[in-house]
Amino acid sequence: MNILNSKDFLAMVESGSNNLENHEEEINTLNVFPVPDGDTGTNMAMTFTNGYKEASNFLSNNVCDLAKALSKGLLMGARGNSGVITSQIFRGFAKAVEGKNELTVKDISNGFIEGARVAYKAIMKPVEGTILTVIKESAYYASKELENNSNLTIEEYFECLTSNAKKSLDNTPELLPALKEAGVVDSGGAGLFRIFEGFNLFFKGEAIKKVDIAQVELSKDAKDYLGYKMFINLLLNPEYQKGFDTSIINKRLIAVSEIIKMDINNECIDFEVNTVKPGEVLNVLQRYGEFASLNVENHLIAKKPQKEYGIISVSQGEGLNKLFLELGVDIVVSGGQTMNPSTQDFLDKIDELDNCKIIFILPNNSNIILAAEQAKTMSNKDVVVIPSKSLQAGISALALFDANDSKGNNEKALTKAATELKTAQITYAVKDTSFDGVEVKKDDYISIVGKTIIDSSNNLKELCIKTIERLKDDDSSLLTIIYGEGSINEVNEEIVKCAESIGLEVEMIKGDQPVYAYLFGIE
Amino acid sequence: MPVNKSGTYGEIKISDNAIASLIGSAVAECYGVVGVTPKKAMDKVNELLKIENYGKGIVVSSKNSVLTIDLYVVLSFGVKIPEVVREIQKRVKYTVENALNMDVIAVNVHVEGIKVN
Repeated sequence: MNILNSKDFLAMVESGSNNLENHEEEINTLNVFPVPDGDTGTNMAMTFTNGYKEASNFLSNNVCDLAKALSKGLLMGARGNSGVITSQIFRGFAKAVEGKNELTVKDISNGFIEGARVAYKAIMKPVEGTILTVIKESAYYASKELENNSNLTIEEYFECLTSNAKKSLDNTPELLPALKEAGVVDSGGAGLFRIFEGFNLFFKGEAIKKVDIAQVELSKDAKDYLGYKMFINLLLNPEYQKGFDTSIINKRLIAVSEIIKMDINNECIDFEVNTVKPGEVLNVLQRYGEFASLNVENHLIAKKPQKEYGIISVSQGEGLNKLFLELGVDIVVSGGQTMNPSTQDFLDKIDELDNCKIIFILPNNSNIILAAEQAKTMSNKDVVVIPSKSLQAGISALALFDANDSKGNNEKALTKAATELKTAQITYAVKDTSFDGVEVKKDDYISIVGKTIIDSSNNLKELCIKTIERLKDDDSSLLTIIYGEGSINEVNEEIVKCAESIGLEVEMIKGDQPVYAYLFGIE
Repeated sequence: MPVNKSGTYGEIKISDNAIASLIGSAVAECYGVVGVTPKKAMDKVNELLKIENYGKGIVVSSKNSVLTIDLYVVLSFGVKIPEVVREIQKRVKYTVENALNMDVIAVNVHVEGIKVN
């Protein structure tokens, strides 16, 4: 061959790309320089595949156009150092063959010489013993061969280019100590060699095809797979029946699912796949034929175990949410002064707990008890509402819950704990007000028991201590403090010290609740 | 600031210049980098931030024995910039961590210019 046309150019590039991809893993293991991250093979393969894709999609009979498209694809898809350098090599090549619809041996030779030149230009201190050396030496020696023999054919040129690339590659350990130490040749150089080898093999009539994509092995967790399982029998359209390379279906399918089985029998293919996107699977396969049979099973809804009791608790603040869940609550509902859950909210949650026989609800706010009671009336499930009027009460009640005990006993115990707890809330005033003889100024801290403001002060610490002292009686032994937004660490410490000094055991809980800096519970 | 370490036989002090040279060498070998001194831009930055250690477009700061490196580079036209930058970060982090045995928490690459051939 003395002239390279666009068709052969593209086929040559494809062969190079396939050969590189087939050696991807091998090249990864060579990667020790400059950083031993073992990804040169993958990087170059992805880069070059992208380049080939761009070139193959470009409709033109001119080699210069395809070379440019290749260059563009390489630039866009460049991954890793080697990928970037490869993109530069073919950028130079494309520049050298500009305007040429077909290439002579001389054109090709000039192309690679320019490729080497451009590649070297984009770096301040080129390191020898790398892909740079390989392109430089192979392009140079191949061009020298052409000089000595003007009748050199294209096949002979590529044979020369490839063998010199191999020689240069084998010499890289002599130029780069890191390679010598590791006992390997340069990974980037190896990648380039495989590309040239692929080119060469095309001209020898042995163009490289991609290795057949092996059947995906069943993962050992297949039983536990959460998603959809699809059984599809696809009746192939006539044009896809005979001689069609089904590996492309395989490749497209792998992108959106895990293939457990793909049995090809003449006119149809039997699929068994796991996927979280059944729609995508159908989109892929629809192109190739019709669905003779289609079965989709949902594994997303994990089978929930049946249990006796389910607990719904109203909460606010991340810390408290977590705490409730740790204490055994099944579902936490957002509540609080401004976001009271509705009856419907409770009904929805009761429905969610369809695996539980008896549902307990902790409203934890006097305003929410009504909604909970209404939900109980409307629901046909067995629901118990504990009249807890505060978050502290809810926590206190939960501590007494016994999943092994009867419904009646639990109801009694939880209600007692919730109602016997003495509680107070510390927050701040949003405006000036006077309440039952208590003067309040805007931004003052106020302490609330039940629905009454009992005290106010601009000193948070003082207010807290006074409140605790008021709540305490002779039977009190345990103080629970839930601190949220607006609480201050130093104040926390002081309160604890003070409470302990008057004979109370203290439990501190980080609630993160908004509005109320402190929630106190004494029992 | 220079890196100070206490060894069994005495102290080890690695100067700013030494570190800058080490990094400079690593960066110069990064593919796609054609310059490491953006001149004017660098002067302005130096003035604004009053950074103490500054050497040829390389700024190293250390806090609690953890290094942050800022590089001011000029790249070649025609290369895939995000990829080149990624490689620079990888290379510099690897080189510095191995040579100085110190953790590098960030390698910030400032692309100050693109050079067309």
